[in-house]
Amino acid sequence: MTTKFDAVVVGTGAGGAPLLSRLVRAGLKVLALEAGPIHPLSEMATDERTQEKLFWKDERLSSGRDPIGFGRNNSGIGVGGSTLHYTAYVPRVQPDDLKLRTEFGVGQDWPLEYADLESYYEELEHFLGISGPQHYPWGPPRRSSYRHAALPLNAAAKAMQRGCEVMGIRTSSAPNAALSAPQEQEGFGTRHACTNRGFCQAGCSVSAKASVDVTFLPLAQKYGAEIRPNSFVTRFVLEQGRIVGLEYVRNGILEQVSTDTLFLCAGAIETPRLLLMQNLANSSGQVGRNFMAHVGTQVWGRFDAETQPFMGIPGGLISEDTHRVDGLVGGYLLQSIGGMPVTYASQYARGTGTWGVKLLEHMKGYIHTAGINILGEGLPYEGNFLELSSELDARGLPKPKIHYSNGENEQKMHTHAEKLMRDIWTAAGATGLWTFPRAAHTLGTARMGDDPHSSVIDRDGKSHDVENLYICDNSMFPSSLSVNPALTQMALSLRVADQFLEGQG
Amino acid sequence: MEPSERERLLELLESNRVTPATRRVLLERLNAKYQRKFFSESQLEKLQAVALRLVPHDPLELDLVGPIDERLARGDSKGWRYADLPLEANPYAGLLEAFPNDFLQLEGDAQDSVLEGIQKKFPRAFEDLLAELVEIYYAHPLIQVRIGYYGFADAQGWTL
Repeated sequence: MTTKFDAVVVGTGAGGAPLLSRLVRAGLKVLALEAGPIHPLSEMATDERTQEKLFWKDERLSSGRDPIGFGRNNSGIGVGGSTLHYTAYVPRVQPDDLKLRTEFGVGQDWPLEYADLESYYEELEHFLGISGPQHYPWGPPRRSSYRHAALPLNAAAKAMQRGCEVMGIRTSSAPNAALSAPQEQEGFGTRHACTNRGFCQAGCSVSAKASVDVTFLPLAQKYGAEIRPNSFVTRFVLEQGRIVGLEYVRNGILEQVSTDTLFLCAGAIETPRLLLMQNLANSSGQVGRNFMAHVGTQVWGRFDAETQPFMGIPGGLISEDTHRVDGLVGGYLLQSIGGMPVTYASQYARGTGTWGVKLLEHMKGYIHTAGINILGEGLPYEGNFLELSSELDARGLPKPKIHYSNGENEQKMHTHAEKLMRDIWTAAGATGLWTFPRAAHTLGTARMGDDPHSSVIDRDGKSHDVENLYICDNSMFPSSLSVNPALTQMALSLRVADQFLEGQG
Repeated sequence: MEPSERERLLELLESNRVTPATRRVLLERLNAKYQRKFFSESQLEKLQAVALRLVPHDPLELDLVGPIDERLARGDSKGWRYADLPLEANPYAGLLEAFPNDFLQLEGDAQDSVLEGIQKKFPRAFEDLLAELVEIYYAHPLIQVRIGYYGFADAQGWTL
């Protein structure tokens, strides 16, 4: 082992990047190891197939009654992680979502309160440069307004506005982490305003979207953080129950690094996979358990007027009026979406099984289509978990196998939302409706909690078992929350860093 | 003489309305030629016939099967697999074997009947193949402009 770091961070996405910047600014010597390459803005093509480079392509095995698709659905690789292709919907959590078990007797409470996150939300909304409405109609009163004015609405957002108005459902321009006006970003330079290119989900090429490669990572680098791309961690090195270092493969060569503290931020699949390979931090038996995904049902329809579904930010309009729905545990958000042609066609083929001339006929109407979707609470279940398969990948490491089946609540939520969205789309003037059932995000495989018997890490992200191991990525979520996870993930990341630094005295 | 559809597309791709990153990959795709590397000759022939029915196209204009052959030769995965499908270098081998030997000689309608049966019997492998063909087809710039998509003209963005 050559260099020794105060902290090594594994993963450079929404979980790893914010805390990296915090630690380095506090004077720590930090290194981030990222499995994938750097994706320069100048190489972000407006082409879905090329941009598949942003997705994790090592094979994952999908099992259960409702096997989850990985790859482009919910994974990321490269400096910036999945923030490179997140839709950038950034609503805050509503406080009651953090206390689901208290409210409903099922699911899980977070060991944190809304007040623990609020100041971080405020900091992030300013730092990332979130565009949003002057008055956001849901959630607790806000102490600050969004930094930038709301972004223009695309055709789907306008259709959702019309349909919801007829139905008596309130809507609002969404908080979106793309800039409606240029912004200076420390360590990066000037980030430009959004050009309505519409490819948020395949990588922003103009720096408008606040992915961490144009925000937290350049900030961290300015203060001396080192980021090592193409470095795939394969093993933790332990001495007397403490982590003393890591082994990783960089460009085909096995290297080692030693560290005082490890922050594991590799995401809800790779984090438990790495831990399970050495059965580390698992006295609770909860590593890999409680795998959750959001209910992400989409409804699409065809409008008489052209919609050009690839234009404008896909994350435009939101409604939280369905935050609580009679008969459901938790609730969901309604959101307008965008449609890139390859993804749209592929989903239509997979979702409806249509092929041949009928498929081509349908796609002739592509520029008249628009979609709407939900993001809803997905509960943890005993039968939904990640384990190591006996199949090995090209590195000789076991592939992860993920078991996932919707429970009764997810099915009821899907049914409720599908009907509501069909009504909204019909009221907006859409015809030829079709539904794409979908599960989004990967959550909960190393959850935090106060009880070491039922959780992997404590409320500060610290392992109950290994004193210098911290976990900060979407595996830490005790419940899924009915909001898009990126903003809360970044808030957790800043909080984990601050709590750690406070403990260092 | 009126410029052809292809000439008009080339003119757009080479204009300053398209960023260099996007231009590079789309020109490459427009001019791509594939040599068989992975499938056997009979597999390739069968797959081409299947592709013609699933996503009707002019094989002289674009090759839908070549990119699959190339992907499998590289050993690339899409990032996941249904756990109940076997681990195979060729994920479509089983599906192709399920086709009758005279599939290539059948009329289009009869081929469609066979495909309907295969879709019912092997829904997941069929779905994977269909989706891969569809993605290759709609990623082709000539096909994109035919459905009115010009999103690749990305240099200046759009006004809503």
